[in-house]
Amino acid sequence: MTKSKLLSALDKYKGRDIKLEKQRKAEKEARKRKRAGKEVEEDNGKDDEAGGVKLNRPKEEKRNGIEGKKGGKANGVRKGADDEAQWETDEDESEDEGDSEAGVIDTSRLNDTDSSSSEEDEEEEQDEDEDIPLSDIESLASEDKGDILPYQRLTINNTTALLSALHRIQLPISSMPFSEHQSLTTAAPTSILDVEDDLSRELAFYAQSLATVNEARALLKKEGVPFSRPADYFAEMVKSDEHMGKIKQKLIDAAAGKKAAADARRQRDLKKFGKQVQVAKLQERDKAKRETLEKINLLKRKRQGAELTTTHEPDLFDVSLEDSAAAKPSRSDRKDGRPNPKRQKKNEKFGFGGKKRFAKSGDAISSADMRDFSVKRMRGGAGKRLGKSRRAKKV
Amino acid sequence: MAAVYKSLSKSDKKDEDKPAGGKKNKQRVLILSSRGVTYRHRHLMNDLYSLLPHSRKDAKLDTKTKLYQLNELAELYNCNNVFFFEARKGKDLYAWMSKAPNGPTVKMHLQNLHTMEELHFTGNCLKGSRPILSFDAAFDKQPHLRVIKELFLHIFAVPKGARKVKPFADHVMGFTIADGKIWIRCYQINETEPGKQKPSADGEMDVDQAPKKGKPDETNVSLVEIGPRLVLTPIVILESSFGGPVIYENKEFVSPNQVRADLRLAKAGRYNRRSEQGLERKVKRGDLGLNTEGGRKKPKDALDDKVLFA
Repeated sequence: MTKSKLLSALDKYKGRDIKLEKQRKAEKEARKRKRAGKEVEEDNGKDDEAGGVKLNRPKEEKRNGIEGKKGGKANGVRKGADDEAQWETDEDESEDEGDSEAGVIDTSRLNDTDSSSSEEDEEEEQDEDEDIPLSDIESLASEDKGDILPYQRLTINNTTALLSALHRIQLPISSMPFSEHQSLTTAAPTSILDVEDDLSRELAFYAQSLATVNEARALLKKEGVPFSRPADYFAEMVKSDEHMGKIKQKLIDAAAGKKAAADARRQRDLKKFGKQVQVAKLQERDKAKRETLEKINLLKRKRQGAELTTTHEPDLFDVSLEDSAAAKPSRSDRKDGRPNPKRQKKNEKFGFGGKKRFAKSGDAISSADMRDFSVKRMRGGAGKRLGKSRRAKKV
Repeated sequence: MAAVYKSLSKSDKKDEDKPAGGKKNKQRVLILSSRGVTYRHRHLMNDLYSLLPHSRKDAKLDTKTKLYQLNELAELYNCNNVFFFEARKGKDLYAWMSKAPNGPTVKMHLQNLHTMEELHFTGNCLKGSRPILSFDAAFDKQPHLRVIKELFLHIFAVPKGARKVKPFADHVMGFTIADGKIWIRCYQINETEPGKQKPSADGEMDVDQAPKKGKPDETNVSLVEIGPRLVLTPIVILESSFGGPVIYENKEFVSPNQVRADLRLAKAGRYNRRSEQGLERKVKRGDLGLNTEGGRKKPKDALDDKVLFA
């Protein structure tokens, strides 16, 4: 620990959050142990099996303790060693980037990103580097934290070295004509409210580029450099014709799909509506038919029945059809007391009262009736019977 | 066609270059990847290669540890910039940008990459035309970003005299800083005159030396995206090329490995918490003297039932 007791006491006096402090301390220890464990392992690999438990992180120790209680001790140790191996691989992965650089890090160069690079507060900054901002840890829900150990990179921001490196490679942009480098930096930083919002983000990028293009266009024109490509300048493009064809096809497909979908929807709506229209139309037609038939029948009847026709018939025909249909004479209205002609006929045919049996059965007269008899047909000389339509034509 | 244009415009080019004098911007970029890149990484590399006429592609680098070999490789190909893509685990891509002989080097994590092919943007530009670079003003705010900007300028700004270069500026590359990351976009510049619908005819071309005074900006400029899209997170800046002391390290960067491990640990944490609770309960019971074995025993009380009625 770099902090002295006095310093920590001072901190406590200042009223720092003890809980946060503790968490930081645990983190620090874990990191130290990790590093120590790595070194020890490199030194003597066979020590691993015997002292595997010792090298573990605190969480590991606890788990091993449980296992030791449950099973035999040897078993626990072996398991611990297994876990150790697993942990080691993880650490290797996470550390392999910083590993090679760790040797070259010069602590005197450590600076914080946020503060300026003045020399006097360098010691303080070093102390700050040891601390761990807990913002990352606290953003997690408490139950999600689990075994995650907060981990922290060292901040290295060696401003002087950065600037010297920059000056070493920097192009003299200000002294060069614009057409030489064609790069522009916007006046104000592009501000994006929400980076997750795709539309606004892309719009900001677009706006930035567009502003640059407008500026660059003016500059290039001032320098007399050709800017836009003439329509008859053909050369190889970044995207091949094949690729552009694919894109075009994609666009066409998308448009066609959209159109087809719209069409289908319209058709569906039409169908829904058209069905109702059709039904209504059919009903109307049926009604109209019925009505005209009724009128015709009525007129026919009026003609047949002489009594009815004695009244002014021509008037009935052309003028008051509706009236006659509306003023339909009911059965009870008949003056002479006779049923209508149809009923009369039916009564004649089927009989109204009287014997109904054997009316259709043959008797002596009917069997002696030879009007329908044909010798030719009896002999079978008539040839084949024709089809129905031709028979109908013949007769 | 390009040759014809070059020969035509050579005469006025010469007397332009001279007065500029000074240092000439000479850049060549070596583009290559490590082994283990996926097809998307490879396509992205091809896209960038087609956008940068002053670049040279090379075979995949065999090693992932001895990156200093890249310096020799760059020298071999006369390149003073190296743009190296390092693939890890077949999914993570890191982009290294370096000034070849003696640094600096920037290592960045490449995310959200979309190649031209999969984006289906309608924009297109001449292969070999020089882009206009658009930098966010935030690049000038911090020294490490200034270094990164300079490297972008060297790698993405095609120098005037580069081989295979074509005239006209018909695309723009945007570099924006948002959320601590660098977002790169590439747009085609689409010029339309308000009267006409089609891009301006060759008669009114800007080949004329003096722009007309009367109507400075009659044409309507719009952009159409070309692709590819990528996002870079700076991780580390080294002082020399693929080596040397670390002069910047990004504190906020969390490696994708760490993210994945944390996810896994968060899942595993539930078991550990439960077993811990079990242990705690056991200890508590032992402390209260409720366990038959182990734990603390209660002191014998003279008035205990067991003593009285023994």
